[in-house]
Amino acid sequence: MALHFGGEFLVQRSPEEVYDFLIDPNRFGSVLPYFQGLTVADEKNFEVKVRVGISHIRGIANVRLNRAEAERPRRLLYRGKGSLAGGSVDFTAGFDLAMNEEGTRVAWRGEVQVFGVLTSIAGGLLQPLAQKNAQKAIDGLQAALGQIPSVSALPAVSPLPVVSSPSAPVVSEPTISPGVREPGGSDPTPEQPIALSEPAMKAGQ
Amino acid sequence: MTPEKTRRPRKRPGAKAALKHPHHEAASASDRWVGKSVARKEEARLLRGQGKFVDDYQLQGALHLKFVRSPYAHARIESIDVEQAKAQPGVLRVLTGAEVAKVVQPFIEIGPAPGGKILDYPMAVDKVHFQGEPVAAVVAESIEAAEDAAEVVRVDYDSLPPVMDAEEALGDRSILHPSAGTNLVWQGEFEYGDVDAAFRSAAHVVEIDRLHFHRFSSTPLECNVVIGQWDPSDNQIYFWCNNSFPAFAIQFLSPALGVGIDQIHFQSHDIGGSFGIKITNYPYMAVCALASRACGGRPVKWVETRTEHMTASAHGNERTFLDTRVALDKKGVITAIESRHIDDCGAYPRYEPLGCIIWAQVLPGAYRTRNMRVQFSQAVTNKCPVGPNRGYSRMQHLWFLERVIDICGRKLGIPADEMRLRNYIKSSEMPYTTPNGCVYDSGDYAGMQKLAKKLIGWDGWQGKIAKARRQGRRIGIGIGTTLDSGTNNFGQSQIINPQAPYSGQSEGANVKLDIYGEIVVSIGSVPQGQGHETTAAQVVADVLNVHPDIVKVRPGFDTDRNVHTGHSGTYASQFAVTGLSAVHGAAENLKRELARLAAFALGAKENDLEFGLGTQGPEVKDRKSRKAINYWALANLVNVNNAGLPADLDVTLNCRYVYRAPFKVPDIQRKYGNLTLTYAAQLHIAVIEIDPETYIPKILDYAAVDDCGRVINPAIVRGQVFGATAHGLGAALYEDCRYDEAGNLLASTFSDYIPITALNMPRVRYGHMESPSPFSYNGAKGMGEGGAAPIHTVCAALQDALWDSGVVIHDSHNTADSIFRALASRSEASGAVDQAAIETLESNT
Repeated sequence: MALHFGGEFLVQRSPEEVYDFLIDPNRFGSVLPYFQGLTVADEKNFEVKVRVGISHIRGIANVRLNRAEAERPRRLLYRGKGSLAGGSVDFTAGFDLAMNEEGTRVAWRGEVQVFGVLTSIAGGLLQPLAQKNAQKAIDGLQAALGQIPSVSALPAVSPLPVVSSPSAPVVSEPTISPGVREPGGSDPTPEQPIALSEPAMKAGQ
Repeated sequence: MTPEKTRRPRKRPGAKAALKHPHHEAASASDRWVGKSVARKEEARLLRGQGKFVDDYQLQGALHLKFVRSPYAHARIESIDVEQAKAQPGVLRVLTGAEVAKVVQPFIEIGPAPGGKILDYPMAVDKVHFQGEPVAAVVAESIEAAEDAAEVVRVDYDSLPPVMDAEEALGDRSILHPSAGTNLVWQGEFEYGDVDAAFRSAAHVVEIDRLHFHRFSSTPLECNVVIGQWDPSDNQIYFWCNNSFPAFAIQFLSPALGVGIDQIHFQSHDIGGSFGIKITNYPYMAVCALASRACGGRPVKWVETRTEHMTASAHGNERTFLDTRVALDKKGVITAIESRHIDDCGAYPRYEPLGCIIWAQVLPGAYRTRNMRVQFSQAVTNKCPVGPNRGYSRMQHLWFLERVIDICGRKLGIPADEMRLRNYIKSSEMPYTTPNGCVYDSGDYAGMQKLAKKLIGWDGWQGKIAKARRQGRRIGIGIGTTLDSGTNNFGQSQIINPQAPYSGQSEGANVKLDIYGEIVVSIGSVPQGQGHETTAAQVVADVLNVHPDIVKVRPGFDTDRNVHTGHSGTYASQFAVTGLSAVHGAAENLKRELARLAAFALGAKENDLEFGLGTQGPEVKDRKSRKAINYWALANLVNVNNAGLPADLDVTLNCRYVYRAPFKVPDIQRKYGNLTLTYAAQLHIAVIEIDPETYIPKILDYAAVDDCGRVINPAIVRGQVFGATAHGLGAALYEDCRYDEAGNLLASTFSDYIPITALNMPRVRYGHMESPSPFSYNGAKGMGEGGAAPIHTVCAALQDALWDSGVVIHDSHNTADSIFRALASRSEASGAVDQAAIETLESNT
């Protein structure tokens, strides 16, 4: 089962700043929804644990990511594999960065291939769930970078405020990023909405 | 005796014509129990929950096995990390496919190269070839411990492009098995008569681009279960398993495990259905045996879950029929068919490529077509391997022929019933030799149609349907005629592979008087609900003139009874012929021994003896002296009180008989010969309405007529007809093992697969005819597979309902969704019915 996503957004950061954020697994990994922990293997490879749940199928997914392409400050491509009970996921996540007079335009795209009986048991739920989580990851990324509203992305979970200060500090602490859970923290239920507005505003100040 | 040499038919009640087996008269003259609906002996335990299935066995020290299975349909195994799993509490061993491959040989392949070069191990070694293929096996003290540990086995895969379509597979763009070098398993051309001449002289030629028979399974109530024990104390392997063709399984296991056949012991008791699917569970048997050996000889139990069964046991064959051309004369009689068939056998051939020839048992179906040319290819794909699912290979072909008949009839404006009548083999032509040398033993297809039409009220429905259509309703009535060929000749395997060491067909049985005079019957078949215990008892009771209740038929199968032959099992609709012939032969042998012994004991002549029931139980009586001796005394004389027996009185009262079906090896070059002994038939009629809002097809009326020759037990036959009807209806309207492009099975649970239940089973009007087989001692024919009649019938009825809307039924599986899409597509095409309609429902979707 193949799922495709994509969109773009603007951040008031230079392409270099965005690139440096995206290439650092300690920062980038933590914006994944339901983040549980991170293990960095080497410069290009790291593994994150995320909590996932579809109906009664719940558990920890181990997601291994490999930085397949990196061209500072224009392009990054990650390839990943995840596994959990009932299935596996192969995916790619790519980012093309372009300088813009307002900052950096981030064009992103994701392709997810789901394998296993999960597709049979929860096939109809996978597309909206994956779409929701992709959006959460992007929202988290935007919030972490300091964002301005999306220009053509997937429907946003909630409207984000325009940020005027281009010099807002890059968020480096995953604990203050929206949608990001502190490692070892309490687990959200998969359907629990993540409150974006308040922390996002703080992050963008 | 060969079927070809059998005498001319003799008219019998209920059949236009039938041949007689030389022993038939004697057998039927004394029948008191055969032919009666004797209550099933098995029911007493099964209905009280006292059946003994494999999972009911609680062996001391038994371990539990859980497989780690691939989520990928096609991937390279980069690494397997079992350390964390091994460290889990209660875990004894974790086996990987690579480890197993070091200690076993690949399973033998039935076919020649290229398919014969495929390496099939019990678990995936370096590549996985279908979703659900086992890559590792965890053995633990409890199933819970095994399951927990299986979850932490880490397997790194490098996914490869899956090949999910057999036509695409033949392009070899992605090779599944490098050892074979191609995805082609087997191919061959079957040509009979003068096809080109028939087309040159045809009054009509109908072309059908594509027909597709979908993939489904039979979902027995009991999934696969194996207990394997490789006992180091005697180096014997013991299996308790529900495999339904153990003689075949042990022939595969012996070379793979490197042991002699006699070291393998196999036992089953009750089995909750197989329908052929459990024939190919031997890879799991191998893993359980190896796991047992790795754990010091403790028994290892594996119980398959339903999802495992759906994804990784076996499915039925999927087949695509391409470029079909049909020649007809001016009356609508089909004079020639040519076509190209591509069979999808899934990831490993296993029982295949036998399906590449088995369809030819019914080459012309119920029709008189003499000129046929079929190019047949079989390919591997990244789907679950297939198994010989009920009606295996023949039902795909028979469905194809029924679609051909219906589409041609429509094209020529000939009603479906009339089209069939013009093409049926006539009862007066029986036994009928088909273009490829098969001999249809008996049958009256026109008579069956007449009876089915009467049952359903054909004429009345014609009027009601016409009226409903004027109201804009979509209602159709359709006929499905099908054959259930039984007792196969394994010589047909040599058409596939001239080196194949198989031919003929046989079954064994043992009937004995036990030490205390009990009549005990052991059979080589593997009953799974067909009532073998009952029908065997009926046969023995008639031979010995006793009541079936006193005939003890041992349940299940056991190699240690030494009854079986290399063909033993339950498959290919044959027990009524092979199994009961063996039982009958063994009972007759016992009767002869009893007569000799009684003559000695009573001082009588054997010709003066009669068998029956006396005041002290079953006995043998001298008509002249009126003296009698009961079975206890006879058994006592042989077993424990034999000092006075004459040395030349060589009786054991323990009589084994092997029935060998009268076959010859087919002509391999011509692909010609008798491939099956008997041909039961079923003819069904359905009336179906398509809901105008939901497009759900609803069966309004249904009739099923069966002819399986002489009936041993009418209640059992009726039950099997109803069961086969349910399976066929489920396959036609609900059940579909569909995959997505990535190789995910989208029906891995019953929620998605939707097997038929009592709730969506229509009322069935049942009718029966008897055309006794001249080739079996009792006139019976094998039955029970049903020939997939409902699939043909539902498609025919839907065709009738949808033809006027421009939709041609090209797929064997039709749902509300596919019907809606087909109709929507036709609406867009603005009513161009003819050539434009020759598109598949699939392509419409």
